[in-house]
Amino acid sequence: MKEAHVEKSMRVNVEGTTQFRVLSKHQVEEIVSSAMEILERVGVQVNDEAPVKMLEERGARIEGKTLVRIPSSLVQAALQSAPSRIVLANRDGERNLVLEKNRIYFGTGSDCPNVIDPYTDALRPCLFDDVLRVSKVVDALDHIDFFMSLGLVSDVPRMTYDRHQFLAMAANTTKPLIITCVDGTGLSDQYQMACLIVGGEEKFQANPYFAVYAEPSSPLMHSKEALEKLTFAAERRIPLIYTPCPSAGATAPVTMAGILSQGLAETFSGLVISQLKREGAPFIMGGVHTVLDMRTATYSYGAPELSLLSACMTDISKTLNLPMFSTGGCSDAKVLDEQAASEAAVSLLTAGLSGANLIHDIGFLESGLLGSLDMLVLCDEVISMVKRILRGIRVTGDTLAVDVVAKVGPGGHFIGEDHTRRYLKAEHWLPRLMDRTNREAWERGEAKTLSRRVRERVIDILEHHDPPPLEKRLLSELEMVVAQADERYGVK
Amino acid sequence: MSTIVETIREEIISGNVEESIRAVKEALQRKIPPEKILNDGLLLAMERVGSRFQEGEIFIPDVFFSARAMHESMDILRPLLAPSQSTGAGCVVIGTVLGDIHDIGKRLVGTMLEGAGFTVVDLGVEVSPDAFVKAVTEYQPHILAMASLLTTTMTNMGVTIEALTKAGLRDKVKVLIGGAPVTRGFAEEIGADGYGSDASTGVDAAKALVRKLADE
Repeated sequence: MKEAHVEKSMRVNVEGTTQFRVLSKHQVEEIVSSAMEILERVGVQVNDEAPVKMLEERGARIEGKTLVRIPSSLVQAALQSAPSRIVLANRDGERNLVLEKNRIYFGTGSDCPNVIDPYTDALRPCLFDDVLRVSKVVDALDHIDFFMSLGLVSDVPRMTYDRHQFLAMAANTTKPLIITCVDGTGLSDQYQMACLIVGGEEKFQANPYFAVYAEPSSPLMHSKEALEKLTFAAERRIPLIYTPCPSAGATAPVTMAGILSQGLAETFSGLVISQLKREGAPFIMGGVHTVLDMRTATYSYGAPELSLLSACMTDISKTLNLPMFSTGGCSDAKVLDEQAASEAAVSLLTAGLSGANLIHDIGFLESGLLGSLDMLVLCDEVISMVKRILRGIRVTGDTLAVDVVAKVGPGGHFIGEDHTRRYLKAEHWLPRLMDRTNREAWERGEAKTLSRRVRERVIDILEHHDPPPLEKRLLSELEMVVAQADERYGVK
Repeated sequence: MSTIVETIREEIISGNVEESIRAVKEALQRKIPPEKILNDGLLLAMERVGSRFQEGEIFIPDVFFSARAMHESMDILRPLLAPSQSTGAGCVVIGTVLGDIHDIGKRLVGTMLEGAGFTVVDLGVEVSPDAFVKAVTEYQPHILAMASLLTTTMTNMGVTIEALTKAGLRDKVKVLIGGAPVTRGFAEEIGADGYGSDASTGVDAAKALVRKLADE
């Protein structure tokens, strides 16, 4: 069954679409002001000499070797120089993702240690071939716009997993990537691989094939590895996603306004370092701000607060004119069940409504420990529903349709009207996986539940989807980079 | 020779009423036998429309337009066909039962039956048992089809079947029922011959009943 309507790119919260925001202008100002106050009064720990020196030269106050208090003027200057618009391109150099205010795109999350095997249902560690599978499924889905690995490749050397993972990601889809890396060298190697694919550094610079994901450590710390990634990305103008992951009540204040202020302080300090390293470096703000579940100590991926806080950060990002990396389509459930579906629906709708640019973590189950193809495929359908709501309604003379009502009159019907045929596909969302048959037809089709229909689509894609391959010669060049990295770490 | 029949099929599948009629007229001018136009053009086209609908590739309004194109093309062919073929797949008298003014579902079934090649006599809504009996006497259809959308009016389907029996017509016609609250169990309970859970299974049931009649 084909879908009737697929948007290539969607802009929300503009005229004609559904409108949504959480924070008032005044509330945004309060949170921004608190974040600046945290940086001036408390400061952040910067665990690398070079950035500390750079910050000191520009007026930051240093205590001990690593504690840096950053004046608001540096933050304001960084906000001025960072671009409000970043474009990501696919493997063929097509500029498909335009990250600017209210343009939304959806994609997977990265690095879950486990998978459920779609053929045996066994729970097991994620292998190289599993990421190849995810890559293929991502390529096939209409509403997945960018690709993070979903799984953490575990059957390769630990210190070079990221290069192997990149290979599996690029092999089976042309969609733009967001990569993770072990450290600065891991990023450097993957950058080299990406440049081989797109035909050189100049081409990558013009049409970046990936963004790199890095995160500060809450509360208020930047690790050496995170700083390496941040500065390498800034130097090479690689789009960088710098995303705090604080938990309310544990690594951040329990209050929503408190976690937002602290998260934003972490973001601002990363932004300042990136802009000091290179003015105009592409920087994407974001964060997975959520609660620590106080019964289980779980960092919750299905909490309503995660969605609420993501929407708040998105409101803030629009005031600051920075692209935004948000979260949705993830759950604390252990399999694709009713909980997973409810949490996915709530988070995807909220993230979509908010107008965040990159909505990630689609496919996460078990609070980020399990990367699920089932969840990914279900979310593709949910996103399709969400987009229908976001599209809003068109009000014109022809869509108000008084003439058609007059023609049909009381007791008539509209099925045989040209107007119906003309507008059907644009106005009505039609399901692919959601079942609307009557009971008899449903029973005739073996009374399949949604999770069974989802799994069948997963298998169908794995068996029948044919993604555009990488050239053989190119593939062996990439494998060479991976082998060299393995050698440097003394592993085979 | 075959291209014009292909054109007829394409126009009907696309639901282009005017173009279908034009193509049928042109085929007749080219001396293509009306039977061939009916079987290889109209009926084959509607078969494809049916399967594309089942696959979810096209939607109810598309089927409706195709059925209309088929129906109006049939009006041109009918006088030229042998009497045995002029009702196409069979004749159906259809109506919504007494006390019920719901029209759209019944109309949809009627249109899809026409699309499948049936001749359909639509008695409208609030049709009394007597009016159904009168229509069966007058039109001598293969099938009497009844619709009801309310649990309160469903019982009038059973009343109508009793009226057919009293009038001595019960073995002359097959009774097909449908509508949202109607179930297969209910159909068996009141002694109906067939049941459709939606418009397209209704058409399948009608075809099966006509085959059954031919075998009897």
